[in-house]
Amino acid sequence: MLRFIVRRIAWAIPTLLLVTFLVYVALRLGTNPVYSFLRANPRATPDKIATYKELNGLGNNYVVGYLNWLRHFVTFDWPRSIKGSREVFPALKDALANSLRLGLAATFVGIVIGLAIGVFAALHAGGRRDVAVNTGAFIGISIPPYISSILLQLLFAVYWSRWFGHTLFPTSGVYPPGHEGFNAILMLKHMALPIVVVAIQIIAVYSRYMRSSLLDVLNSDYMRTARSKGISERRILIRHGMRNALIPVVTVAAIEVGSIVGGLIITENIFDYPGMGRYFLTAFGDGDFPLMMPWMVIIVASILLFNLIADVTYAWLDPRIRLE
Amino acid sequence: MRKTTRGVRYAVALIALSLVAAACSSDSSSDTVPTDTVAPVPEVSYPTNLADCANVTYDYTTPASTSAGMTVTYDIAPEAVWEDGTPITAADFSATWSASLNTPGSITTTGYDQITSVEAGTSDKQVVATFKSVYAPYKTLFFPLVKAAALSNTSDASADFADFLGYSARPYKMKSWSPSQVVYVPNDNYWGTDKALTKKVVMVPKADSDTEIASIKAGEVDFIYPQYYGGITEAVAQDDITSKVTFGGDYEAFYFNQKCGPFADPIFRAAFSMSIDREALFQQIYIPISDQASLLECGPIVPGPYCAGDEFTGSFDATGAETLLTDNGWAKGSDGYWAKGGEAAPAVRWTINTGNTRRENTQAYLIPLLQAAGFNVAADNCDAACYFQQRLPALDYDMAMYISTAPPDPGYLTNAFVCDQIPTAANGNIGQNSQGWCNAEASDLLHAADAETDTTVRADNIKQVLRLMAADHVLLPLFQFPKSGFWRTDKVGGPVDGELNNYTAFRNFDQWTDVDGDGQIVIGAEQWPACLNPITECANSSWMVWTSAFVVSPGVWATTNDGGYALTNLVTGEPVVTVL
Repeated sequence: MLRFIVRRIAWAIPTLLLVTFLVYVALRLGTNPVYSFLRANPRATPDKIATYKELNGLGNNYVVGYLNWLRHFVTFDWPRSIKGSREVFPALKDALANSLRLGLAATFVGIVIGLAIGVFAALHAGGRRDVAVNTGAFIGISIPPYISSILLQLLFAVYWSRWFGHTLFPTSGVYPPGHEGFNAILMLKHMALPIVVVAIQIIAVYSRYMRSSLLDVLNSDYMRTARSKGISERRILIRHGMRNALIPVVTVAAIEVGSIVGGLIITENIFDYPGMGRYFLTAFGDGDFPLMMPWMVIIVASILLFNLIADVTYAWLDPRIRLE
Repeated sequence: MRKTTRGVRYAVALIALSLVAAACSSDSSSDTVPTDTVAPVPEVSYPTNLADCANVTYDYTTPASTSAGMTVTYDIAPEAVWEDGTPITAADFSATWSASLNTPGSITTTGYDQITSVEAGTSDKQVVATFKSVYAPYKTLFFPLVKAAALSNTSDASADFADFLGYSARPYKMKSWSPSQVVYVPNDNYWGTDKALTKKVVMVPKADSDTEIASIKAGEVDFIYPQYYGGITEAVAQDDITSKVTFGGDYEAFYFNQKCGPFADPIFRAAFSMSIDREALFQQIYIPISDQASLLECGPIVPGPYCAGDEFTGSFDATGAETLLTDNGWAKGSDGYWAKGGEAAPAVRWTINTGNTRRENTQAYLIPLLQAAGFNVAADNCDAACYFQQRLPALDYDMAMYISTAPPDPGYLTNAFVCDQIPTAANGNIGQNSQGWCNAEASDLLHAADAETDTTVRADNIKQVLRLMAADHVLLPLFQFPKSGFWRTDKVGGPVDGELNNYTAFRNFDQWTDVDGDGQIVIGAEQWPACLNPITECANSSWMVWTSAFVVSPGVWATTNDGGYALTNLVTGEPVVTVL
């Protein structure tokens, strides 16, 4: 296992370099970073332009330029943003923390509930309860986040405030306006609606995955063998059924968490939530190359990392699988 | 578990090498500075071919000053101090002048480039600004006034105020700023009588209009100032929310790019402009927004002393447009579009920002009518960032439609309409003349207006320019846009509706009261400043200055609701203007 992890990490480094190089080239071709800088600084002196190009690796040769950018990146000599001339790391760190908090909480809630519902549906396959779960799942998948967001905002903020004089869950932000410092309760209260919006989709998807995966397992030969040995149905379900049914689900879940790092663009926008999605939209709108490149690196790195986690978890759940 | 075949590895390596090789061989044109190669042509050239656009040059010389110059002497109030108690002095005026003039990316050098010195007079509480020539819009200068001690380098302020605007000479000072909120608390050293009435004022971003409305209805924000649209009053309606809709300096218009493209041909442009029935369009698009509205006839300015009010009246003349084209050798081709010498005019690219329903409706209404009139018009839209930050400044459009906010002084017309403010390689690509309109007579009149102290003569100059704009079909004014404010009566009181149509918008919030006693007033902001620097291009957004610089920065003059200027308590009296 250890050898596998080391090998995967060793492979991940060139992959990361290759993908970030491609992203670097794509951003230079697609956004013209020097022009973006000049648009924000129309009377920049040649010295300033040269410094900006040097720090961002924007020389004529893409390979040399990329290596130059990489040198500044790995030594934490990050260039400041074009808009506002601000340090990039604090903003990126805050956005990442916000997105991870929201994404992981929503994924955890969504997967736990989704799996439970999936097991329930599989155990009652073909019955009315199964039909109800399936119908609910289809409705959940079909409701886009911008609809569920507005409905939840109306119900728990607008109408609740009208009925009871105060909102149950706020419509936006991480904290109430004017709050400064850390407060877990207030934060959770503000995250409640975005978590529900994201979790609705996850619950719907994972209940479907779990149901079909568990049905496959429950009908397999080794389950029949286990039953014939007289093992209790509860033990069969937990030790043999659930564990095997979880294998494909866990793989998908790990990859999905990796993509959540990139932000939940629609949800974050509607709830004015300052995460990675909002960060990227703003940076892209301004053509802010110094903001976009580190964002891209984190996205690529997180996808590679969570793919690795998926593989390791896969092997842990199924000892027959050898990571060689 | 997983074995990568040798073939796959080779394929991946081959693809990677190909990409690297392709990248290495890429030319550097993609990120080089777009430059106009200015050909030394003797006369104005107006290509209709887009590829030739970069070669356009303008044969115009800014008129030399006819005066020996002028001085403006300001007497700063003895009690005027910054938030830390240090006095406001001539050094702050000098620093503001130097930073505005010299900072790379300065939002405007206009006016400051007419100043030759800013010095202390009889004491450091007296400022003498010396101008090269008479500069009539001098009231627009030194606002926002920046604290000298807050600048690291008065020749380049671009690295300052990245995430905090710590100085203040106004009732409130900034306590903190983040991408999520800005918090203002009372400035204890503020010397005026209009001291802050609430412990805390918080502004929070509410970029999505549905969230903005939900927030005020839920009581999470106390006040919002959204761009007005038909139906918004009904959308926000609630017993404890009141509103005011008023008219200020915002106006919407069509603009025609004359630097290149189909409208570089003055006959084609005139005929196109004459084919637009503004009155019908007004009934279709704007009356549903406000039934009290009337068609804007002035041009790029709102009604007032600088506009006669009939400059663009009678702009629609479909028959005249046909006659104009046919008299000049144009004829409709088999496709129904106008062509000259058998060659069709280039298609007109009408650009707006996607998602703006009103503008999209305008396109949907007007494009079929224009096509039926023989003009090959097509929507060529992009998102707001692309539209406002790339396409318009780069003059990469044929026809555009947007709202502008006119400050009280008409000096902004010089920036936006004189020949020497068309971005070209010759002037370092500066200027805000995004129409590419170069009319020497109009440019001379605008420059003369800036150097005219007699307000009647100045107004006459501006009115003449507006008529020249109408004659040249530079734009078609449409609508003086309403300004709207909505607030919770159970949470905020006082003169909330006092300055909604002011250029500085709700800057009077220091006089608002905290009705619900929660210790704060919360304002929802439709746009959020990506930066706080009031000197640089960052400040090129109304919301940026409304939420930051205008709150803390003093000025000699304040704008008034009726589009004028009033002295502030920064000075002891009217500045003394002396023409040399």
